[in-house]
Amino acid sequence: MKRMVLAGIAALTLVLAACSGSSSSGTSSGKITLQFWTAQTPPTTQVIDNLVSTFNATHPNIVVQASTGGTSTGDLLPKVTTAIAAGTAPDIAYIYGSYAANIAQSGKTVNLANIIHTPGYDWNDFYPASQQIVSPGGKVIGFPALIDNLSVIYNKKLFAAAGVPDPSPNWTWDQFRATAKKLTNPAKHIFGVNYPIGGDLLDTSWRFFPGLWQRGGQILSANHKQALFNSQAGVANLTLWQQMSTVDHSVYLDPTATNAEPLFTSGHLAMFVSGPWEVPVLNQAKVDWADVPLPAVTTNHQTVSGPDNWVIFNNGPARVKASITFLEWLEAPQQELTWSIGSGSLPLRPSILKLPGYQEFLKKWPGIGPMAANLMNAREAMPTLPQWPRVVNALGNGIASVLLGRATPRAALDQAAQQADTILNVPGAPGG
Amino acid sequence: MTAQQTLRPVSEVDPALHRARIEEAEQRMRRRGWRRHLPQRGHLVLLPLSIIMVLPFVWMILTSFMTDTEVNSIPPSLWPHHLYTGGYSTVLASSDFPYWFLNSLIVSGAAVLAQLVLCSLAGYAFARIQFRGSTVMLILLLATALIPFQLTVIPTFVIFHDIGLINTLGALIVPQLTSALGIYLMYSFFQSFPRELEEAGRIDGCGRLQVFWKIVLPLARPALAALGIITFIYAWNDLFWPLIAITSSRTFTVQVGLTTFQGEHITHWSAIMAGTTLTTVPVLLVFLVGQRRFVQAITGAVKG
Amino acid sequence: MATTLDEATIARDANRRIRRSGNIAGWAFAGPSVFIVLGLSFIPMIWAAYLSFTDSNLISAGHFIGFANYAALAKDPMLRQAFTNTLLLAVMYLPVGLAAGLGVAILLNQKIKLIGFYRTCFLVPFVASAAAEGILFGFIFDPNFGIVNSAFQAVGLPRQGFLEDPSEALVVLAIVYFWTQFGFNIVIYLAALQDIPEEVLEAASIDGAGKWAKFWHVIVPTLRPVTVFLLVWSLIDVFQFFDLVYTTTRGGPLNSTLTLVYYIWELAFNFFTAGYGAAVAYVLFFTSLIVTVAALTYGRRRRVTL
Repeated sequence: MKRMVLAGIAALTLVLAACSGSSSSGTSSGKITLQFWTAQTPPTTQVIDNLVSTFNATHPNIVVQASTGGTSTGDLLPKVTTAIAAGTAPDIAYIYGSYAANIAQSGKTVNLANIIHTPGYDWNDFYPASQQIVSPGGKVIGFPALIDNLSVIYNKKLFAAAGVPDPSPNWTWDQFRATAKKLTNPAKHIFGVNYPIGGDLLDTSWRFFPGLWQRGGQILSANHKQALFNSQAGVANLTLWQQMSTVDHSVYLDPTATNAEPLFTSGHLAMFVSGPWEVPVLNQAKVDWADVPLPAVTTNHQTVSGPDNWVIFNNGPARVKASITFLEWLEAPQQELTWSIGSGSLPLRPSILKLPGYQEFLKKWPGIGPMAANLMNAREAMPTLPQWPRVVNALGNGIASVLLGRATPRAALDQAAQQADTILNVPGAPGG
Repeated sequence: MTAQQTLRPVSEVDPALHRARIEEAEQRMRRRGWRRHLPQRGHLVLLPLSIIMVLPFVWMILTSFMTDTEVNSIPPSLWPHHLYTGGYSTVLASSDFPYWFLNSLIVSGAAVLAQLVLCSLAGYAFARIQFRGSTVMLILLLATALIPFQLTVIPTFVIFHDIGLINTLGALIVPQLTSALGIYLMYSFFQSFPRELEEAGRIDGCGRLQVFWKIVLPLARPALAALGIITFIYAWNDLFWPLIAITSSRTFTVQVGLTTFQGEHITHWSAIMAGTTLTTVPVLLVFLVGQRRFVQAITGAVKG
Repeated sequence: MATTLDEATIARDANRRIRRSGNIAGWAFAGPSVFIVLGLSFIPMIWAAYLSFTDSNLISAGHFIGFANYAALAKDPMLRQAFTNTLLLAVMYLPVGLAAGLGVAILLNQKIKLIGFYRTCFLVPFVASAAAEGILFGFIFDPNFGIVNSAFQAVGLPRQGFLEDPSEALVVLAIVYFWTQFGFNIVIYLAALQDIPEEVLEAASIDGAGKWAKFWHVIVPTLRPVTVFLLVWSLIDVFQFFDLVYTTTRGGPLNSTLTLVYYIWELAFNFFTAGYGAAVAYVLFFTSLIVTVAALTYGRRRRVTL
């Protein structure tokens, strides 16, 4: 027993001693060490780690230390928040675009507005949605990290089995509804299409926007003081989904926003409204799939993009400068192409599509080409403002209640708009 | 408990007497006809109920040996067609699971050792030594159980950052060094501890620490075992604080690591269930081995 | 006269010395634990108290706004929902959890065979982690691939949405919670039952009490202290119901499983209204304090000590 206690104390001392060394970072012996929180999950962590090693090997004065930061992108936010509160923010972190404005409010971020238009940054070689989401309130808090968009991924086998022709890229929402209905087969547990109603209400809300925009609607007023999503356009948009969900019963209402994926890969979901992040999973699961742009009311196939950012935190001018050097290098087209090929992410810069190596990307990730092309249909960006997470929460709950048959589109959207107006106009207003 | 009932320390019970009591009770039961039928009927309720309680774990283990196709079929397969170990190899080979497991062992082990020392010292002091402020302190300690952790997590993080332990196992060990529950457990035990033994020691001229170390602790072994088991289980299962305090994968504990398997768009159920099984087995083992002490631990706290 | 005075003085001095040595030894023994536990709870509590009077978003210095956060509590529909959900959980779980725990404990107290086996089975869920349980039950209750729905279908019942249906999710969580806590209630009740002196029960038998009369007039009153303990314990536990929500529904669908502590978490980390979150947390803390003290006082008046 005594020996055990001694061994335990010795182990404890060792652990504590070993641990206290790791938190030091910064400038020592002229080198600058950067903390880089990537929020990547296993297969892609390796890709980014390799890129970081290349950078470290070619830049003797900067040492980038990459770590995942959190268990997943969603869990990273509480960690970054706690770290900012404690004054231990990393130098660079991957942050969801929807939180950009909140993070910018911290006063711990940088503003790159003055330098991004100088030569060498090729700022206009980022998609407009990316540019906007990284600049909440005109303050450029970092660099774009990821771009995506929504399209309709479909299971070719299920279409063939139901005797339904593959959807045309020029299809309309009416055709979409009819197709979903035809593919639905309760006896075989096959759903026509998915719609997430919980888990992540941003996911519930953002897929409402393409139909809103296509009908000429807007999310918020230009001054961000009033919710406009309860317009006629919004009601018409939500009514279509309401009919599909409560009349046709062709919609799988996904409560966690993650259940649709196994449903699709196991052949129980015919159409999967989702994005490029599914490509690695679908190919690994050997699903026979293809994808088309979102339907249109008439001819406008507008979609939505939810870009994410690399946010730079202000840990002193030397480290900010080094962070910019690193991200500038990471985002140069050649490195970006390596990243895209390795991870299956869409190219961040339009110019990458013209690089010779782009063909390799298309070959490695079959089916991703149309998604990259579909970025051209992401013409409008979601607003970036601190109240956005709560606005999205109100809207998402409204949409979910309609799809569950508990409210009419008009009533639910009006109520959500009213909540949003309170959130937008009362500073620090809780709830909503 | 009511005044006349106090916790009997196990060491005090004479096993022979105990056995005699049981035999006597059994004889009494045999004498009474009506009672004999009750137990049989009891099984009708108990058996199905107990099976329901363990079924999820059985299902977990079975699923960990199924392929993803088997898992994702409707209706689900009940039995793996062959023993598929791909889930386990995914967990063990392509994740940091071995690190997580080791980290959890270190944290839980350190917590057990520290609590054995600190909780028994404090519990003994509250039960046996009259000192200024002891009642107030004991009440304050117990009141901490009412504080929602969500309220204190940020300041706690700041404190641990200031002492330089964030993203180290130290951040996970320090809050587990002692606990209100553990102190209370030992306090209840020592309250019913026969005073005469200590007095004998004091007469022999031992100091308080000596009495505690040489006389009290050896006799408190059953309570210490109970404390150790309950501490291990609590420390092993802790999810929330490690989720916040640790940022690099190799410093994760198993519970935090397990949530990475649930990470977005990852649905390899065989791997998830293999991870869940590997995470659950250690506590199950500790529980099964030390079951009697575990039951004493949770009942001891109530009866104090 | 003088000698007695001297003796009194000596006795007083000795007493004082003992007390002083008690003070030193007591604090030396209890000090480290007290320092760690109180330091890690009350310092953060004070910090959070300050937060609750600001509009802090955690990441930038907030402004002092007086009682505005507390005033806003009354008008917050999500808080009302979180409170209702938490209360519903308690109402669904407590009576069933305690009654079933007592019932099984009584069955086990019959000197039944296999008692060890049963106790193990009932306690196993109590030792599993919330992370594991969340994953496990998300899987078992999955509406499409889950085994429960397959079983329902096999016996001709309609398939259910379970955690995905706003009107069922909270019930499912209550069931899972019951599953984890059931064994604990049984073991506590069983220990108390085994402590009821045989003579008390025999005396009741001699008085000619029937089985039910004995249950109501002997067993239930004798167990009241334990019941009060379990009640307080469960209430505190339900008030802090977080892990299972975090690992399964994250408060959804439609906020139907939003509990108080999960809401506090969302306010601080998703909505960037940490000041308001701290105010909600404080209200929760004082509510549970009042409930606990009330239950303990009630117990004490009934000659109960915990």
